[in-house]
Amino acid sequence: MNFQWSIVWESLPRLLDGAWMTVWLTFATMTLAIPGGLVLALMRLSPVTLISASATAFVEFFRATPLILQIYWIYYVLPAYFDVQLSQLGTALAGLACNIAAFNSETFRSGIVSIRRGQWNAGLALGMAPARVFVSIILPQATMRVLPALASTWVSLFKDTSLVSIISVAELSYVSLQIRAETYRILEVLTAMAALYWLMGYPQAKLVDWVHRRFKVAE
Amino acid sequence: MNKADPILTFEAVHKRYGSVMALDGVNLSIRRGEVVCLIGPSGSGKSTLLRCANALDVLDSGRIVFEGNEVRSSEATVRHVRRRMGMVFQNFELFPHLTVLRNVTIGPTTVLGMRRAAAEGRAMALLSKVGLSEKAAVYPSALSGGQQQRVAIARALAMEPALMLFDEPTSALDPETIGEVLSVMKVLADEGMTMLVVTHEMDFARRVADHVAVFDKGRVIEEGSPKEVFENAMVPRTRDFLSHLGWHGETTIPTAASTREVS
Repeated sequence: MNFQWSIVWESLPRLLDGAWMTVWLTFATMTLAIPGGLVLALMRLSPVTLISASATAFVEFFRATPLILQIYWIYYVLPAYFDVQLSQLGTALAGLACNIAAFNSETFRSGIVSIRRGQWNAGLALGMAPARVFVSIILPQATMRVLPALASTWVSLFKDTSLVSIISVAELSYVSLQIRAETYRILEVLTAMAALYWLMGYPQAKLVDWVHRRFKVAE
Repeated sequence: MNKADPILTFEAVHKRYGSVMALDGVNLSIRRGEVVCLIGPSGSGKSTLLRCANALDVLDSGRIVFEGNEVRSSEATVRHVRRRMGMVFQNFELFPHLTVLRNVTIGPTTVLGMRRAAAEGRAMALLSKVGLSEKAAVYPSALSGGQQQRVAIARALAMEPALMLFDEPTSALDPETIGEVLSVMKVLADEGMTMLVVTHEMDFARRVADHVAVFDKGRVIEEGSPKEVFENAMVPRTRDFLSHLGWHGETTIPTAASTREVS
C-alpha cells in the first residue's frame, strides 16, 4: 500500500481555510448562543405564561430534533413556506445558534434556580431592586456554577459544526471531503482531517478540564 | 421624634402557609433604642414575623408600620423600609463571589449611590468594629461561621439602618464562635441600636433585651421585661418552654414531671 502524503501538504492551505471556518463558526455561534440562551432561560422563568410557554416550545423543539434536520429545515423549508432565504453561512449560523442557545438556556436555568432563596433575600433586604439582585448577586454565581457545562457544550459545538458541511459551508469537514473526492486519496485526507480536528479539539478539552477544576464552587 | 415612639408595630398580623397558620394575629411594637428578643419553640412563627417586617414575606392580613409607613403599601415603601432595616440571617448569606470588603460596600454603592471610596472607608470602619479589618480582601469561604456572621452584621450596618433584624444569628454556628457574634450584638445594643432579635440564646435575651416576647403557635403568648418573663412567667406554656429549653440550651428528656402541664 502506498501513501501519498504530498496530497496533504499540497492541500494544506485549503484545509487550514476550512479549519479557520470551523473555528469561526464555533466562536460566532457561541457569541449568539450565550446571550440567546440567557434570554431564553429568563423567559422560561417568567411568571407570564405566554412568555415562558413560547420559550419552552422553542427550547424543546431545538433540543428534541436533530441538528441536521434543523439545518435542512432552515435551508429548504423556510424559503419554500415563508419566503426567507438565508445564505449557506447564514443558515449554518442560524441553525447552530438556535440549537446551542436551546441547550445553553437549560444550563443557565439550572444555574439560576440552584442559587438558594437566601441569596435573593440578602440582596433584597439591603434594599436592592430585584433586577439589581439578579445582575449583581445571582447571575455571577449562576454563571460560575454552569461554566463547566458551558465549556462542555463549547467542545461539542466545535465538533458539531461539521454537520453544516451538508449545505456546502466550507468548513474543515466539507473541504476535506471535497479534497478526498478530487484526489481519491481517502486515507491520507481523512487522517489529515482527524489530525486537524484533534489538534484543535484537544487543547479545548484540556481547557474544559481546567475550567471544571478552577470553578468548583466554594461556599 | 420621641424616643419612646414605636419605630415598628405589628397589628393583628396573620400569615398562613397552606394549612399552617404561621402567624395568628400578632400584635407587637418596638420602640426606638429598644432591644426586643423573640423567643419560643422552633416553628412558632418568630422568623416569619421578621421576614414580614421587611416584606420578604407577604402577610395575609393585618398591618406592619415602620417609621410611620405601612410596609406593604407600595413598591417604593418596601424599598425604603428595606434600606432603613438591616437584616442578619441564620445562614449569614454573604455573597460568596465577592470579597469581604465588597460584601460590605455593595449595599451603599448600589442602593445609596455612595462612591466606592467613601463606601470602602465606611466598610473598613465597620469591619474593624466587628474585629475583621484584616479579612477585608478575602472571600467569605475562607472565614469561620462566626467571622462570616460578623461580616454579615457589618454588611447590614453599612446601610446605617434605623433598626436591625436578627434571625437566629447564632443558630448555625459552632458553639465556640457563638460568643464572638453575641459580643458584637451586645456592643450594638449598648450603643443604642434598635434591635429585633429572634434567638434561642436565653442568656443573651435575659442580659441584653429590654423586652422579651414569647411566641407559640403563631402568637405572642407572653411579653414583658426579661425579669418578668424569665423569673416570673405568668403563662404555663412559657414556663413549660423555658423549663424544656434549660438555661444553657440543653434539652431535658421529657419525664412525667416535666411534661405535666403546670396549672
